[in-house]
Amino acid sequence: MFSKPVPADSLYLAWAAAVFPLAAFGIIMIFLRRLPKAAAGVSLSAIAVSLVCAVCLLARHWHLEMPLESTVQWMASSDFEIPVGVLIDGLSLLMLVIVSGIAFLVQLYSIGYMAGDPGYARYFGFMSLFAWAMTSLVLAPNILQLFIFWELVGLSSYLLIGFWYEKLSASQAGKKAFVMTRAGDTLFFCGWLILLVWGGTVSILDLNHSAHSLSQAMVTASALLVFGGIAGKSAQFPLMTWLPDAMEGPAPVSALLHSATMVAAGVFLLGRLFPFFSQSDAAMTVCLFIGFVSMLLSATMAMVSRDIKQVWAYSTVSQLGFMIMALGAGGYAAGIFHLTTHAGFKALLFLCAGMLIHACETNDMFEIGQAGGRRMKLTVLCMTIGALALSGIWPFSGFFSKEEIMAALAAANSPVWYIGGLAGVFLTAYYSFRLIFVILLPGSTKAHGPGSQSGPEHARAVMHAVLVILAVITLVMGFFAESLQNLLTGQGVNAPGVHGPFPAKVVSPVLAIAGIVVAWLEFGRKDSARIGFAGRISPVARLFGQRWYLDHAYGWLVGRILDRGIAEGCQQNENRVIEKILHTVAGSVTACGRAAAGWHRAMIQSKLMVVFAVVFGLTLILLAA
Amino acid sequence: MTNWTLFIPELYSLGAAGVFFLFCLCRPDSRRDYGAAMILSALGLFLTVWSVGFQGSLFEGVYRVDLYSQVFKVLIYCGFFLAVCLCADLSGVDESRHSEFYFLLALCTLAMMLLVSCVHLLAIYIALELSSYSLYVLVYLRRGYQKGLESALKYFIMGAASSALMLFGFALVYGTGQSAYLVDLMRDLPGRINEPVVLIGFILALSGFFFKLAVFPFHFWAPDAYEGAPHQVSAYIATASKVAAIAVLIRIIALSGGQSDRLAWFLIVLSVASMTVGNLAAIAQKDLKRLLAFSSVAHAGYVMIGILSLTALGYASAVFYGMSLLVMKFTCFMVVVKASENGRNISTGDLAGLHYRAPVLALALLLALFGLAGIPPTMGFTAKLLIFTAAMKQGLLWLVIAAMFNVVISLYYYLQILKAAYFIEPEGQPPPIVVSTPLKLAAIAMILLMVAGGVYPGPVIDLAGDMTMGLFP
Repeated sequence: MFSKPVPADSLYLAWAAAVFPLAAFGIIMIFLRRLPKAAAGVSLSAIAVSLVCAVCLLARHWHLEMPLESTVQWMASSDFEIPVGVLIDGLSLLMLVIVSGIAFLVQLYSIGYMAGDPGYARYFGFMSLFAWAMTSLVLAPNILQLFIFWELVGLSSYLLIGFWYEKLSASQAGKKAFVMTRAGDTLFFCGWLILLVWGGTVSILDLNHSAHSLSQAMVTASALLVFGGIAGKSAQFPLMTWLPDAMEGPAPVSALLHSATMVAAGVFLLGRLFPFFSQSDAAMTVCLFIGFVSMLLSATMAMVSRDIKQVWAYSTVSQLGFMIMALGAGGYAAGIFHLTTHAGFKALLFLCAGMLIHACETNDMFEIGQAGGRRMKLTVLCMTIGALALSGIWPFSGFFSKEEIMAALAAANSPVWYIGGLAGVFLTAYYSFRLIFVILLPGSTKAHGPGSQSGPEHARAVMHAVLVILAVITLVMGFFAESLQNLLTGQGVNAPGVHGPFPAKVVSPVLAIAGIVVAWLEFGRKDSARIGFAGRISPVARLFGQRWYLDHAYGWLVGRILDRGIAEGCQQNENRVIEKILHTVAGSVTACGRAAAGWHRAMIQSKLMVVFAVVFGLTLILLAA
Repeated sequence: MTNWTLFIPELYSLGAAGVFFLFCLCRPDSRRDYGAAMILSALGLFLTVWSVGFQGSLFEGVYRVDLYSQVFKVLIYCGFFLAVCLCADLSGVDESRHSEFYFLLALCTLAMMLLVSCVHLLAIYIALELSSYSLYVLVYLRRGYQKGLESALKYFIMGAASSALMLFGFALVYGTGQSAYLVDLMRDLPGRINEPVVLIGFILALSGFFFKLAVFPFHFWAPDAYEGAPHQVSAYIATASKVAAIAVLIRIIALSGGQSDRLAWFLIVLSVASMTVGNLAAIAQKDLKRLLAFSSVAHAGYVMIGILSLTALGYASAVFYGMSLLVMKFTCFMVVVKASENGRNISTGDLAGLHYRAPVLALALLLALFGLAGIPPTMGFTAKLLIFTAAMKQGLLWLVIAAMFNVVISLYYYLQILKAAYFIEPEGQPPPIVVSTPLKLAAIAMILLMVAGGVYPGPVIDLAGDMTMGLFP
C-alpha cells in the first residue's frame, strides 16, 4: 500500500476540524437565526477549534514521510465500495491550516464588517457551512468524497455571493457563478466516472501511484475532464468571467472564498492529483496553456478596471493562472507555495479593500482616492504591503513563490511560457501599483476625510488587528519556503527543486520594479495624465474593459445556441412528437380499459363460460406442451 | 388426546357468534350490537395475539396450529376488528338486520380462522364454504340498493361453480394420493406433479382459492359484489377474506414442492391476466368501490407473482404482500365509508376537497394509494419490491417487466383518485366529514404502519420468513 493508517488521535483531530463548523452551521440555522451575536460567537468558536486542530495536526506530522489514510465503508453496491475517510499528507495539512486560518481571520474581521446587517446570523451560518465543506474537501481521500464537498463549496459560494439577494445584480452574479462552475463540474463528473468505470478506483493515492487500469489515452481524457472542473472552480479560461461578478458578495466573502481558499480548491485538486496528471504530457501541456492564457488575459483586464474589488478579482484569476502554469510545468512545490503565499496577501488586499469601500461607500478607486482613502493610514499601509507581495518584491512572500514559479517555467520545454510569465510579472506589478498610486497619490482630495467609520471602536480595532496579522504573515512567510517545500515533497512526490540560471533570477524582479515605475509615471507623478498606456488606445481599452468580449460570446452562445437552438428544438419535439405519442398511448390504454370494463357488465352465463374455457383450455395446452 | 387450549381462539369466535345469534332473537338495538361487536372483536384480537406462540395438532391431525396459522388468525381478526370499527354508522344495512350482520361477520371470521389451520382437504372445503356462505348473505344485506340481490346471486353462482371445480380437483388428488391429509400429499405429490391426472386435479383444486382471491378468470363476482355489498362488507372481503385466501393458497401450492414448470406456467398466465384485466378495467370505473374491486383483482395478480416463484422467499413475500394489502385496502375503505352519506355508493368525484374536509383521512388515503401503486417509502413499495425480487431470483425478468407496465397503468387511476381528493374543488359546499376520535386514531395508526412498513420493514419480513419456514417439513 501507499499509506499508513492515521493514528487515532490525529483522526479525531481531523474529524473535529471538519465537524465543528458543521455543528455550528446547524445550530445557527436552526436556533440562532434571531440571535446574531450568539451566531457569530458559535461560528467563530467552531472555526477556532478547527484552526487549533489543524495546527496541532501540522505540528504533529511536520516530518511526515508517508501519507496517512483511514477510511470506513460508507455504502456498498455489489462489488464496489464507497469509502469515506481522511487522507493526511503535506498538502492536506498545509491546506487545512490555510483554510481554517484564513477562515478564522476573515470571520473575526466580519464581526465588525457585517455589523448591523439584517442577515448577520445567516452570514455566519453560511460561513460555517463553507468552512465545513472546505475542510472536508481538503481531507478527502477519494475523488467521490472530494466531489461531494466540491459541490457543497460551490453551494456555499452561491449562497454567499447572493448574500444580498435583494440586489438584482447580486442574485444574478450568484446564479452566474453557480451555472458556470457547474459547467466545469459536469466535465469533472464525467472525468471521475471514467476513473471509476474504466480505472476501477477513485482513491487519490491509487491514482497517483498508477494503481489503476487506464490506458494512456484514457488517462489523458480523464485528466482533461477533471481539469474542466478545475478551470471552472479556479475561474480559468474560458470559464473565468464569473469571478469578477462574484465580487457582488460582501468583501470578507471575496477575501475568503473568491481569492484565498475556495477558488484555490481547483489548484489544490490539481496538486492533489499532480502525479496522476504527470502521467499524461498532453494534459500537462493543456494545464500550462490554459494557465498561461488566463494569466495574461485577466492581467490585461485588471489594467483598465476602475472597481477596486474587480481589480483584485482579475488579479486572483491571473495568480491562479500562475499557479496552474507552475504545476503544468512540473513545479509542484512552486505552485502550492504560491497558493499559500497568495492566500495570505490576497486575503489582506481584499480585507483592505473592504475597509476602504466601507468607509468611502464606493467601489471606484478614483473616487476612493479623491475621498481621501489615504487618510486611513494603517489600511493603506497594509494594502501597500499586500501589493508589494503581489508584485513579487523582496522580502515579501510573493517574491519567493514567484521566483520558484519563474524557475519552473524557465525549465519548461518552450521559452514561450517563460516569456509569458515575465510579461505577467510586469503586468501584475503595473496594475497593482496603478491602484495603489491612484489611492495614495490622488490629484486632489476633498477637504475632509472619509465618512464616519461604521461600527464601534473595538470592532474596528479587531478589523485592524486582522489586517496587521495578515500583513505580518505576508512579511515573514517567504522565509519558510524551504521547510514548506520539505513538508510538501517529503512524501515521494517527484518535484526536484528547480533553480533557474542566475539571469532569470534577476530578470523578474527587475521587470516587477519596471512595472511599478511605469505605474508611477502614469498615475503617481504630480502632473501625470492618470490614464494607463492601455487606456490611451481606445479599441484596446474597450477590449480589456469588456473582458475580451468573453461575456458577449457567452451571451451569444446561450441566447442563440442554447435558448433558440437546443431548448426550442426540445420544446418542439416535446409538443409535436412526445405529447402526441403519449396521447396515443394513453388513449389506447383507456380504450382497452373501457372494453375490459364493458366485458364485466355481461351476463353471468358468458362469464362462467370464460371460467371453464380458461381453466380447461390452459390445462390442456400445458399438458400438450 | 385433544389439547383444547390450542382451540381457544376459535371457540371464542364461536361464542361471539353465539352472542350475536341470541341478539337476533331479541329486539333490534343497533347501539347494543355495535358496542358488543367492538368489545368482542377487540377481546378476540387480544386472544389471537396471545395465541401466536401455540404449536400443535388437533382432531387427529386435521387441524394444525403453528406460527403460520396463528399469525394469519391475528390478521384475519384484525380485518374483522377493523371492519367492525367502520360500523359506527351502519346505515347501509337495515336496522333490524344489524344483529344478523354481526353474527354472519363473526361466523365468517371463525370459518376463515379454521381455514388457515386446516390441513385436510375436506376440512378445508367445509371451512371455505362456511366462510363463503356467510359472505353471500352479507352481500345481500344491503338496504335500498336494487342490485343487491343481483350481486349476491352472481357471487353465489360463481362461488358454486368454482366450488364444483375445486371438489372435482380434490377428488382427483385424493384418488391419486390415496389420502386427504396434506402431510401425506406433500410426501407423494411433488414427485408426481407432472402426471396429467395429478396436474389437472391440482389445478382444479386451486380454483376455490382463486375464487376467494378473485384471480382471473374467477374474478367476475368481485366488481358486482364490492359494488352491491354494504361498505363494511366490501372492506371485510377486501381485507380479511383476501388474507385468508392467500394463506390457504400458499399452503396448497407449497404441496407441489416447487417441482412443476407446468404449474408455474399456469400460475404465470393467470397472474398476468389478472393484473392486466384488473388494471385496465379499473381505469374506466367511476364508482369508487367498483374501482377498488378491480384493483383487488390486479393485486391478486401481484400476489400470485410471489406465490408462483414456488420458493420460500416467494411465499414469504406473498405473506408480506397480504399484510400490506390488509392495511392499505382497509384505509381506502375507511375513506369510502366516511365520505359516503347514508351508505350510498360514491364516485371518485365525490372525494373532491377531501384534503380540507378531513385532512387525516386524506393523508391516509394518499399513503394507501401510493402504497397500492408501489411508491416508496410505503409498505406497498416494500411488498412489491419483495415479490419482484423473488421473481427475479427465479429468472422471471419479463414477468416483472409485465408487472411494472401494470403498475404504470394502475398509477393512472390511483392518481385520479388523489387528484380528486387534493386538487379538485367540490361543487357547492359539502359538509365537513366528522371523523370520530377512535377512527382518527385508527387512521393515524394506519399511516404509521404504512410508513413504518416502508422505512423499517425488517422485523415483519423476518416474521413472514419464519412463518413460511414451517410449510416445508
